[in-house]
Amino acid sequence: MPDSSVRDRRALGGPGVLLVVVYGVLALAATGRSVLQISEYFERAPLAYVLSAVAAVVYLLATWCLARGGRWVRVGIVACAVELVGVLAVGAASYALPSAFPDKTVWSHFGQGYGFVPLVLPVLGLLWFRRVERAAAAEETAARGAGVGDGAAPSGG
Amino acid sequence: MCGVIAALTYVVVAVSVTLCLAAVWYAVRDRLIDDRLLAVAALLELGVVVLLVAGLLGLGRIGDATERATFVAYLVSLPVIPVGTALLAIKEKSRWAMGSMAVGAFAVGVMTARLLQIWMAYA
Repeated sequence: MPDSSVRDRRALGGPGVLLVVVYGVLALAATGRSVLQISEYFERAPLAYVLSAVAAVVYLLATWCLARGGRWVRVGIVACAVELVGVLAVGAASYALPSAFPDKTVWSHFGQGYGFVPLVLPVLGLLWFRRVERAAAAEETAARGAGVGDGAAPSGG
Repeated sequence: MCGVIAALTYVVVAVSVTLCLAAVWYAVRDRLIDDRLLAVAALLELGVVVLLVAGLLGLGRIGDATERATFVAYLVSLPVIPVGTALLAIKEKSRWAMGSMAVGAFAVGVMTARLLQIWMAYA
């Protein structure tokens, strides 16, 4: 019985693998762009470029969490939530203060430069992580129910 | 060098479109990755690596620093994609893996087209 692998909260598998690739490509694009923005012409728009670098790091982290699953699921949920807040906040700010965002970053104008993928992706990521969590919780309950001679009732966390 | 890079980008775009369509076909037919698809992915990888070398050699031609940096960022990012998606497809045996190969190949095509766009502005 591959019991441990059953209980392992696998984020990869099924649609998750597609998310990993889309996240990976976006992480790559965001990292590349932010590295050159900061190294080549940082003084043009420091705020926008720092936010762009933050976005790149968060995308890399989310990609890692999606690929690893297990205990990284929780971290991945936080990363996706940060992305969603980031794309909404920076998206709104780039319309309100266009001078602070002179050229496109991943999050400016709600990710328009990337076909609005950055706006949709965190939502898909959160939905996927929630599904993984639920599947894991259901498996845990089933495993506990099948356990022999459980004295104390397991306390929920 | 100028003509070589333009020709190479056309070849890479053609191979990436082929891989994308083939992967979609595999996903629809619920077929897993096989040697034939892997060979196309390997060809694409070879193409983007050659493009990386040729692009770095011809970099001096791009006058604008911003455009040059974007060009390098694309060149360096490209080789990661075919290898990454192929490894995932070998590990994950499902039609979703074929879908992700299609997405990866599509991304390679789009990024290479952007490369060509930058290159042609200075060639």
